[in-house]
Amino acid sequence: MSVGFPELPSLDLAGDPKGCCARLYESEAARWLLDGELHPGGERLTLRLAELAGLAPGQQVVDIACGSGATALLLARELGAQAVGVDLGAGAIERAQREAVAAGLADRVRIVHGDAEALPLADATFDIALSECSLCTFPDKQRAVAEMARVLRPGGTIAIADVVAEHDALPAALRTAAARIACVADARSEDDYTALLRGAGCETIAVERRDAELLAMIDRVEARLRVARMLAPPGEQRDRVREAVALARIARDEVARGTLGYLLLVARRVA
Amino acid sequence: MATGGALPAATRSICPHCRAVLDAELHERDGRVFLRRECPEHGAVEALAYGDAERWRAVQRFDKPGASPLLRQTAAELGCPSDCGICPEHAQHTCLGIIEVNTACNLDCPVCFAESGTGHQADGYSLSLEQVEAMLDAFVAAEGRPEAVQLSGGEPSIHPRILDMLGAAKARGIALVMLNTNGIRLARDPRFAPALAGLGVHVYLQFDGFDDATHLAIRGRRLQEIKRAALDRCAAAGVGVSLAAAVERGVNEHELGAIVRFGVEHPAVNGVFFQPVTHTGRHPAFDPLDRLTNVEVIRGVCEQLPEWFCEDDFVAVPCCSPTCRSATYALYDGEDLVPLPRLVDVDRYLGFVTNRAVPDLEVAAALHGLFSASAAGGTEPTADRLECVACGVGLPAELQAIAARGFMVVTQDFQDAWTLDVGKLRKCCVAEIVPDGRLIPFCAYNSVGYREQVRGALA
Repeated sequence: MSVGFPELPSLDLAGDPKGCCARLYESEAARWLLDGELHPGGERLTLRLAELAGLAPGQQVVDIACGSGATALLLARELGAQAVGVDLGAGAIERAQREAVAAGLADRVRIVHGDAEALPLADATFDIALSECSLCTFPDKQRAVAEMARVLRPGGTIAIADVVAEHDALPAALRTAAARIACVADARSEDDYTALLRGAGCETIAVERRDAELLAMIDRVEARLRVARMLAPPGEQRDRVREAVALARIARDEVARGTLGYLLLVARRVA
Repeated sequence: MATGGALPAATRSICPHCRAVLDAELHERDGRVFLRRECPEHGAVEALAYGDAERWRAVQRFDKPGASPLLRQTAAELGCPSDCGICPEHAQHTCLGIIEVNTACNLDCPVCFAESGTGHQADGYSLSLEQVEAMLDAFVAAEGRPEAVQLSGGEPSIHPRILDMLGAAKARGIALVMLNTNGIRLARDPRFAPALAGLGVHVYLQFDGFDDATHLAIRGRRLQEIKRAALDRCAAAGVGVSLAAAVERGVNEHELGAIVRFGVEHPAVNGVFFQPVTHTGRHPAFDPLDRLTNVEVIRGVCEQLPEWFCEDDFVAVPCCSPTCRSATYALYDGEDLVPLPRLVDVDRYLGFVTNRAVPDLEVAAALHGLFSASAAGGTEPTADRLECVACGVGLPAELQAIAARGFMVVTQDFQDAWTLDVGKLRKCCVAEIVPDGRLIPFCAYNSVGYREQVRGALA
């Protein structure tokens, strides 16, 4: 059996930031690094977020930047939701659709291609709009939040799980292009997120800090990167992985310092 | 034992003085777990069972149903542990069979659960090749395709037919054939390591540390140069070696990290097995309430090698009882060492597999998945093999194929008459194969009286 670390896709962050993230997260390399768990806390934290948002069976949920649809499938399977997943990555969408069929959930899970800043969905159709570890990667966050609010019924909730950062306190290494894809460089503080939601006519009703889950994920990714360094061909590729290991260690120190963390946040559309 | 993770828990044990079988209880005191029973003749007896009650509760989730052997050799008449073995009450098949080919040795170690030695032993024995072949056949009959066998003693390397015996094990298709040795013959006889290499035999080398005091306390002689020479001969001949360290409170606890580091850096060595001293046969005075368990060994390794290991890197092996054996697998490439359990959320795999038929395979499968996820083609190892990988039998072939070396650190707390807990014993997957064809769980063999029985019959 041949064993090797899959090569990362070429990334054009400056020219196409959203597409770049979508392509990265649907790559073999990223799936391996993240062990199929694309956000801290995995399914357990997704279910906790749904609980905070008050998800009831039969409700309509949209998952923004759904990737290969794991959360949409989970909410349909475990909580009886009617779920729509939206993503920019063509490969992820295809995979998500296949998995919905394979899980026998095609009648309850629909996956559509679309941009978080211009959702291809009608106004006031959902009970819950969910965004896990994706808001931090969107260039125009106010617009993305406004889009989530637009597709909600009045009284519906926005449920966000995301990286939080005291931006000015972060070291320079965590404000680079690579750190942006890793959900760190453009993460906001709790106050910033609350203000964004208020700007979209939503009032924050629940906040839960989950730094331990972020730490566990960083530890796991760091360990996988260290193995990737062993498996990567010597030279440029191996050096890049080595840099990523260093970045993971810096991020871990920042979580310990409290300048970086993970947050569950639920807001109700009031307007 | 399915205690549901609650303490106190009822079990059975024996009196270490008269070996009467007694009701017993596992209970928590000062954050540790003790095994307590009351002998009508010798009074209350207590021994440390596990060094951390919280970890004891945490590892109970690794207690998964066992697999059945093809054949059981005895009937259940008197009840555990008096019907070995293997009797119908036993809840696991045998991953590793041990054959003690002799009682003679070229050392007289102060620590020897087998009570072997250099002098004439009135109750000593030396098995014939034919006897060993019959024992191997009994093992094959019980297991189909046995995963691993270890020839031990005494000192098996001084048995005149040892190479034939190892060859007989190989000829029966047993995947891993090991020689448990002190290394003296390996160091002195330049033809021995190449002969083992020719047979494809793996060496399980006693290796307790580096200090003179350690060697004198455990082996009665300074053997450092002999160990190095034996290892270098193995490296030159291409023989794989596991270092087996007997560890005792107050003797060599401080050398755990140095042993691992030495092993990681030596080209012949692919694993270290720590074994808290079994207080049976010859052993120094000890305090049963303050002996070493896997907890103290794991903590010692982590404290002495913080740059490589943390406690969570050690996973309770689900094959046997979860307090018996903990293991970690790491990759090492000269620059870095990464313990593999750190790459997965072990609980995620345990938590979602409770309704599967063979849940104890899932952790190994998850670890295997780390490598197959990015791999193309090739043969998948069977689930059976992966299970025995978790028992320290060997590393997946995939790991051997990459530039980084796979390395295993295992701690195995064998039971003696002080610590015997029949709940654990029922899931034991290491067995002594004896000449009459029985497979006697290792910890019962050393504590209940089977060793003396078998030796008496052979003398």
